[in-house]
Amino acid sequence: MTSIVVEHVTVEFPIYGSQKSLRKELFGRATGGLIRREGAHNRRVTVRALSDVSLRLGDGDRLGLIGHNGAGKSTLLRVLAGVYEPAGGRVAISGRVSPLFNTSPGLDMDDTGYDNIRTCGLLLGMTRDEIARKIPDIEQFSELGDYLSLPVRTYSTGMMTRLSFAIGTAIDPEILLLDEGLGAGDARFAERAARRVDELIARSRVLVLASHSTDLIRSMCNRAMLFESGRITAAGAVEEVIEIYDQLNQAATAAAAAAETKPPLRLVGAE
Amino acid sequence: MTPQYGVVLVDIIQGLNQRPIWMHLAWRDVKLRYRRTVLGPFWQTLSLGIMILALGLVWANLWKMNVRDYMPFLCTGLLAWSLVSSLITDGCGVFIQGESFIKQMRVSYTMLTLAMVWRALIVFAHNMAVYVPVAIYADIEPTWASLLAVPALFVISINGIWAGMFLGTLCARYRDLQPLVSSLLQITMFVTPIFWASDQLGPRFTLFVDVNFLYHYVSILREPLLGKAPAAWSWGVVLVGTVAGWVLALAFFSRFRQRIAYWL
Repeated sequence: MTSIVVEHVTVEFPIYGSQKSLRKELFGRATGGLIRREGAHNRRVTVRALSDVSLRLGDGDRLGLIGHNGAGKSTLLRVLAGVYEPAGGRVAISGRVSPLFNTSPGLDMDDTGYDNIRTCGLLLGMTRDEIARKIPDIEQFSELGDYLSLPVRTYSTGMMTRLSFAIGTAIDPEILLLDEGLGAGDARFAERAARRVDELIARSRVLVLASHSTDLIRSMCNRAMLFESGRITAAGAVEEVIEIYDQLNQAATAAAAAAETKPPLRLVGAE
Repeated sequence: MTPQYGVVLVDIIQGLNQRPIWMHLAWRDVKLRYRRTVLGPFWQTLSLGIMILALGLVWANLWKMNVRDYMPFLCTGLLAWSLVSSLITDGCGVFIQGESFIKQMRVSYTMLTLAMVWRALIVFAHNMAVYVPVAIYADIEPTWASLLAVPALFVISINGIWAGMFLGTLCARYRDLQPLVSSLLQITMFVTPIFWASDQLGPRFTLFVDVNFLYHYVSILREPLLGKAPAAWSWGVVLVGTVAGWVLALAFFSRFRQRIAYWL
């Protein structure tokens, strides 16, 4: 029985080495988490990346996380992966977690594809025998052929994605965490990846996917959550949440357009 | 910060259980560092060998010592020092270098530390290639005391683990510490009896030797390599340092382990 329970989780990032100019810039930013100053003379700057986030997932749940850049999607995924210990709240996870973020853990650019499969496999909890058994599957899915014998630095971004994805999904994860994992692949790969994830999910596992692509979330998820500045502002059925997200985007676009079409300032008394 | 002893205990047990992973990572680091070079890791051995040869000849002459006496003394001292100092400098960077693991998944920090220690031992084994010709040249005969090098290596590695946990955590937060430690180590190398014997110092400065922790760590490994038993005092200091270091490191690590990911 796989499950994820997150209760009132708050995550704050301390910002070190921030000069005055950087702080100003941070305060002026429109997107992102809440920025606070604490301590004497407001010396400590923290970014509240998640505030009071609660969710509950079980077998068969495929949750899509939507939101603008810096809304807290990736942070939540990393909390679920066990990277960040939340400053407040509780996280309880049962089941083997496979994080599939921008790169595989331990991926080394100078190592060959095969060497990286071995390293990443070990890190993800496979034994050497298990890895040896999975290699044909990874070869077949990644379609990298002889490239697997070359250093990874010779790969294109898309090829790297294919390798990471093939490794990350080879281990039969109970809980799969995906962060824009499919963005770099071409259309055919995205389709095959979707099928592979479908196969994984079919074995009654849990998926949490963070993406900007509403199409991707529509095709892969059965629940969705909208994040704004580290808070959950909408949760429920995929279509409903995407509709709210679209409205939000339209409002933002309209506001930006309105700002642009303002009549230009006249210089008075210039003559 | 409230200490999380349970979490740290799990971290340590998990790290010890992941022996295939840290051994693999350590070997990979050694191999990658010298990829596309002909000599590979032996580059470090070669430069150490050249240094010992050149300094051995010049300084033995300078101090009017017999080369056959001075060369093995210098060689064993530098071998032991390079192990001890690499554990300290690499320990400072163990979590900073491990960012690609720490930020991607739940990882045992102990596992990363063990990989660092194992890597230092692999490099030390390569460096021992310098010792063999020097020992033959200087007629160092293996004695029963030589066997003491084995427990010395073990105890030094155990100390490398706490040093990595403590310094690695501290240096992840305060980035000035890493360059500070490495420059302090460089100075320490010259005031520690590596290039010169402690009895050359004269009675007025013996404090430099007696209180110098690192000297005793070097001694317990160097003396057996010279076929002699190290002073009991040296072993005593090292054992006290081991216990004190682990207590310090555990108290510190259990408070700040969960913050490391935020500092990277």
